Amino acid sequence: MQFWQILIDGFAISALYALGATGFTLIFGVSGVLNLSHGALMVAAAVAAWAAASEFGTGSYLGALIGVLTSLVLAFATYFIAVRPIQNSKRIAEREKEIFILTSTLLWGIIIQEVVAYLFTNNAKTVLPIIEGVVVFLGVRTPSNEFFTAIVCWLVIAVLWLLVNRTKAGKAVLAASMNPRGVTLLGFELSHIYLAVWGVYGILAGIAGVLLGMFLGVSSYSVGPLTASAFSIVVLGGLGSVSGSLIAAYVVGYLETLTAYLVSPAYRSIPALLLLVLVMYLRPQGLFGRR
Amino acid sequence: MTISQQPFGILAGAVAVALGSAMLLPVPAQAADPIRIGVIAEAQSVAGSSIPQAAQLAAEEINAKGGVDGRKVEIITYDNHSSSADSVRAFQRAVNEDKVNAVISSYISEVVLALEPWASRLKTVLITPGAASDVITQNIAKDYDHNKYTFHGYLTSSALAGLVCDAAKDLLVDGLKMKSAVIMSEDAAWTTPLDAAYEKCLPKIGLKVLDHIRFSPDTTDFTPIFNKIEGQKPDVIITGISHVGTQPTVQWKSQQVPIPMLGISSQATNSTFWKDTNGAADGVLFNAVSGPGVAVTPKTLPFVDAFQKKFGNLPSYAGYTSYDEVYYIAEAVHRAGSLNSDKLVAALEKTDYVGTIGRVEFLPKGDPHVHGLRTGKGTITGLMLQWQDGKQVNLWPANVANGKLKFPSFVKTASH
Amino acid sequence: MMRETFASRPFWFGLIFVALATVLPLGVSGYILGLLTIAYYTAVFAMSWDLLFGFAGEVNFGPTFLIGLGAYTAGILDARFSPGLSLWICVLAGALAAVIGGVLLALPALRVTGPYFGLITLVAVQLLQSFVVVFASLTGGEIGLSVPDVISIDAGVNYYLAFGFMMVSGAILYGLSRSSIGLILQASGQDAVQAGALGFNVAKHKLAAFIVSAFFSGLAGALMVFYMGTASVGTFVDISVGVQIIIAAVLGGRRTVIGAAIGAVFLIGMGEFLRPLGELATLIVSVMALFVILFFPDGFLGMLRGGARA
Repeated sequence: MQFWQILIDGFAISALYALGATGFTLIFGVSGVLNLSHGALMVAAAVAAWAAASEFGTGSYLGALIGVLTSLVLAFATYFIAVRPIQNSKRIAEREKEIFILTSTLLWGIIIQEVVAYLFTNNAKTVLPIIEGVVVFLGVRTPSNEFFTAIVCWLVIAVLWLLVNRTKAGKAVLAASMNPRGVTLLGFELSHIYLAVWGVYGILAGIAGVLLGMFLGVSSYSVGPLTASAFSIVVLGGLGSVSGSLIAAYVVGYLETLTAYLVSPAYRSIPALLLLVLVMYLRPQGLFGRR
Repeated sequence: MTISQQPFGILAGAVAVALGSAMLLPVPAQAADPIRIGVIAEAQSVAGSSIPQAAQLAAEEINAKGGVDGRKVEIITYDNHSSSADSVRAFQRAVNEDKVNAVISSYISEVVLALEPWASRLKTVLITPGAASDVITQNIAKDYDHNKYTFHGYLTSSALAGLVCDAAKDLLVDGLKMKSAVIMSEDAAWTTPLDAAYEKCLPKIGLKVLDHIRFSPDTTDFTPIFNKIEGQKPDVIITGISHVGTQPTVQWKSQQVPIPMLGISSQATNSTFWKDTNGAADGVLFNAVSGPGVAVTPKTLPFVDAFQKKFGNLPSYAGYTSYDEVYYIAEAVHRAGSLNSDKLVAALEKTDYVGTIGRVEFLPKGDPHVHGLRTGKGTITGLMLQWQDGKQVNLWPANVANGKLKFPSFVKTASH
Repeated sequence: MMRETFASRPFWFGLIFVALATVLPLGVSGYILGLLTIAYYTAVFAMSWDLLFGFAGEVNFGPTFLIGLGAYTAGILDARFSPGLSLWICVLAGALAAVIGGVLLALPALRVTGPYFGLITLVAVQLLQSFVVVFASLTGGEIGLSVPDVISIDAGVNYYLAFGFMMVSGAILYGLSRSSIGLILQASGQDAVQAGALGFNVAKHKLAAFIVSAFFSGLAGALMVFYMGTASVGTFVDISVGVQIIIAAVLGGRRTVIGAAIGAVFLIGMGEFLRPLGELATLIVSVMALFVILFFPDGFLGMLRGGARA
């Protein structure tokens, strides 16, 4: 009974982690940007969905859509406000651009977080789930929403895989992540590819944020931990490796769930942190990094 | 803030003389210094924002009646951004710069504990309207002569646990014949004494404690916790949560945990809790010092009305205590006949004042909770509210109850 | 180089600042002094961070790991052994603990770089925070630790101590950054392989940078504990505190040491100035910081220098 329970709960939470980390690693792979406003985007999406559904009575479907759109708009805003000006700047040395983008996206995340807190207070919010009720599966009573979360996450990841591997634009993105100059030779405008990737990223982060809001709930305090967890998963899996992040998401998700069930919920995040430190020492490029 | 005190005093004196004959209090004819009260609170949080507002309301009411012995009450407010560092800075400013006679501060134990040594160092009365940690009064008991300037104007964690047990006995043990409980609380310093007191008082009222689960305050996924609790098959979950609230409540409902929750859930006292949880709060039982429409004392409802009229929303729990504190500080100044801190402490220790949440009396020197509030019948009993269909309904104590116990359909209780 | 320093505009601004700061307690209220006391300690945090980042090129997201170690070690020792143990010994022990933490951080830094190292520092902060919360009986947990002793309750004394401390550590850090050690660090930060090929012992210099940075961070943290009489996660360890320090250093101008101090004083002062706006204050400060980073990447000091050049 407990075995199945851990299996089911761990699967759902890991799927959510995987979706959150996929967008993060995609952006890094293609444009070399570590977007530290990631958590803020997810929270903004969830809070927008909550506000639409609960404050303005749009219902859960339209609410969820508004949440994802919010994240999409914010992703483009992140790119145009906090990333592109630095990439194009002539006054910042190339090798320093990384730390500048880290700092600017961090600040941008704080700005989003403060606006959310100002408009909707610091109190935690939960998005009205699309599916309510519970199902008994393998003797475990599980909220239907948990299955819904896992299914949506994997559907989105599958669609993303198809986009990247089976369409021309997707292949260009893939090529861009390997060799930006080569893509321009093939006749693709690099800036168009960046825009497309940021758009896809915004949608992924938005879906992950809204699902998180339905599943566990968010507050403006979640911004830091969400960014940190995406960052850890992506580094654990190997920066830029999408499949690596997916596996790392499951490693972290199950490690946390096991700790919470078998040891104590109070120590939930500690083993994953220690694992991360250990991997950093032994294999700095991450489990599946291609350095 | 640096109004020249001379003309102000004369004016206040003149007003006092004019009104003197109509007043019950003896009014000295000479000018007197105003009573300056500093309020250091969390302006941006739901619980903290009521603290300065309620204090201001009390001061205006007192001043409208001519003040105390010709003294006006002045409130000087500081926002501490929920930070103890900012609070320490504000406290220093309040005492050294703005020359306050007493400070009312914060609903966060961390902040009050940071200020307590400063109250001793700067010899200035400090009263908290909302922090719960027992350590505040323990520090006074440990070194009374040094720390006597601090007063605990809200219930300590162990007192809160006692009130929860009192309510659980009437509602659950006598009412629903419940026999067992699991304690579920966030891992924080305020819950350490709370849990210890729960473990002591629950068996006494006839609830066997099957397990005791403490979880980190930054927990977001409560699935493992509820699963574990359900495995123990208790009749009720006794809660001790404040930093978290929305998330466990929503997950309790989405997983349809069949066990009712009763105890301390600070966030549930907010009027926005229903919306924040999308209605998952339905059926949640929580301790509070006040509730909508509940006349704990004759002063309660007039205060709520006046507050709502002035600020457009309902006061948080710390608003009630902050309002009372201004009144009994003013009363203590009257009895002490002085603004001297030591005399003020002596006068406050003799407080016997019926406020908005009950009768306020401080425990005497020698008690392990010296300067904490006396609780129980005849003083402060607290209430046990339940969220029902978007409203907070009071169930306990019976004499001020305005509803009946009601649970959502997924909750199973023995008597159903 | 000496003559250039004396002729430069920043130098004269600096001199005016020192003169003003010295006579300040005569003119302003205790509250302003208290504010500046905190600002000066924060300035030391930021300068120490700049030595690591600006010169050694290490992306350290966790300055609060070192600060927190110093603050909590000093605080816990004092809380445990109060009258028996001098406050100053506690302060030194705090600095020592931070140095040990600095060496621990330096080990991975010699192996991994860039975002990988950044993540390790982030994890270090989170682990320290978990430690403080889990061992609440020792550390005071999330409520915070009350410290029985304070340096002084007189605002003037605290002000001069903090000011003197900032000037001395600033001078040492600045001197170090302008010495051959600073140049080697800078070279190794830009291209470690090349610096190694030139015969410099990169590892030794980086380790030294970590130790110095940790020492001053820890010392400042410990002193600040005995200024405030309390240590809490929200003041000394939380990631948001580290973010503030990083913003201060970048805002003032990286790789200048002095700029970090200016940025810190500006940030604290601005936060206070905007206080009447309540919760909007953080938002406005963040927007301003983002603006500076985007349009004046060399920070305030860069603006000054730019002005001098033009």
